[in-house]
Amino acid sequence: MDSVIQVRDLTKTYKNTTALDGIDFDIERNTIYGLLGRNGAGKTTAMSILTAQNFATAGSVRVFGEDPYENPRVLSRMCFVRESQKYPDEATARSAFRSAAMFFPNWDQAFCDRLIDEFQVPMKTIIKKLSRGQLSAVGVIIGLASRAEITFFDEPYLGLDAVARQIFYDRLLEDYAEHPRTIILSSHLIDEISHLIERVLVIDKGRIIMDQSAEEARERATNVVGDAEAVESLVAGREVLHREGLGRVASVTFLGTLTEEERRAVEASGLELAPVPLQQLIVRLTQHQNTSETEGALR
Amino acid sequence: MTTATAAPRPLTNRTLGVVRLQLINTQSLVWVPLIVLAGAVAISLMIIPLIPFESTRIVGSAQAPLWYFVALGVQAMTLAFPFSQAMSITRREFFVGTLILGVIASAMMASIFILLAGFEVLSDGYWMNGHIAYLPYLFESGWIVGWLIYFTVTMFLFVIGFWMATIWKRFGTFAVVSIGVALALLVTFAIFLITKMQWWVAVVSWFVDIGVLGVTLGGLALTAVLALGTYATLRRATV
Repeated sequence: MDSVIQVRDLTKTYKNTTALDGIDFDIERNTIYGLLGRNGAGKTTAMSILTAQNFATAGSVRVFGEDPYENPRVLSRMCFVRESQKYPDEATARSAFRSAAMFFPNWDQAFCDRLIDEFQVPMKTIIKKLSRGQLSAVGVIIGLASRAEITFFDEPYLGLDAVARQIFYDRLLEDYAEHPRTIILSSHLIDEISHLIERVLVIDKGRIIMDQSAEEARERATNVVGDAEAVESLVAGREVLHREGLGRVASVTFLGTLTEEERRAVEASGLELAPVPLQQLIVRLTQHQNTSETEGALR
Repeated sequence: MTTATAAPRPLTNRTLGVVRLQLINTQSLVWVPLIVLAGAVAISLMIIPLIPFESTRIVGSAQAPLWYFVALGVQAMTLAFPFSQAMSITRREFFVGTLILGVIASAMMASIFILLAGFEVLSDGYWMNGHIAYLPYLFESGWIVGWLIYFTVTMFLFVIGFWMATIWKRFGTFAVVSIGVALALLVTFAIFLITKMQWWVAVVSWFVDIGVLGVTLGGLALTAVLALGTYATLRRATV
């Protein structure tokens, strides 16, 4: 595996909270990642440490084989505009893009100009006075046009309307096809980005609970709907993520897939099988993790 | 809606790029200090004729733009640091670039004061023996030293502002206020001690012995030490 980022035993603690709890992961070259998790799960903290904007309490981070801290060689190949990015007080979108053009070696001005038109970003208004959506667009444009080898997008869609979000997804995919690079997309609109991402990294309470390809993730769980008794006998002995019941009908999401034989048998018995969308899986997995932790604590 | 702008060349020198990034805040960094300067000079010119004696009339109000450099140092940190991080600039590059900005601004301020002093000498103090920039004791050792004094004071104040803002970024308001109070106590205690022990004569003659140039060079050295302190604080500062 050709990894551009290696994270080992990374821990970040603030006064009384543990934001990252000894996590390990690798990021592969030229891949689109979804960095997913709830608010406060540790996504922004992880990205800040990877770009040396914040500091680890313990553990190591290697980017292109080197420590990114105070390392212009490594940093100039990365771009991380945060969701709550602060711009200079008097900056306009124009001056912000001019700066980005100075500091990102792969900056594409023509691409930037096209995105400005598409997102309809006012160029002469100071950024402080832009709407939330326009502010997000400025960050998105810097992230896309900088064409950095590793680009982080931190909740890039805040305040963007559906059309603007679609423009972002389309341009991202188009440009990625022409200029492959590593993209890490942090988001909690999982369904919306699930068709973009090739690998899924889920953080929950400072721990990695999923690190696999999007394909594997989608096959990880199955949903079965039908007669409650039949459903229960099918899932007996399997790890159940979620259960819903309405009278004699039950819907159960469980981990794992069925063999071809089991599948035929299930369908013959009148139960319905459905794949579990990524968002569902992550929500259930996160909830499951939390309940089993509380149960563990109660015991 | 947009005009295609030619992309500036990617910088070989990212540190100088920081100076340009800082200058996005043209109003705070250039126009406000100049307005403060013009205002201070104008006020001084109105005060001078009110001074009831005819010999050299000195007003100190033109120091205002120098003091403003504390605010300039603060703003150079708070307004630009978070964006510099998004531009993948290292803390070292940000520090050196911001210091270069301070040096350029201080040099310009010192030069303006020297020009003003030159005009005062040529015009006999605005034709009324008034002095704003040409303070005789500053020019005892010549005009170059005079320039150096203005430069040192300005740069010193800029670095103080820069360090204070960096401490605030890293440790918060409480730390800045505590340090301010501690320094005030220290200075008051020093004054108290010198007065109590009747050391003033010794202190004053010590300053006279090292001379204006000596004091200025000492000030420059102190500024350098403060700058190193700023860098040490900035190295672990987060946005």
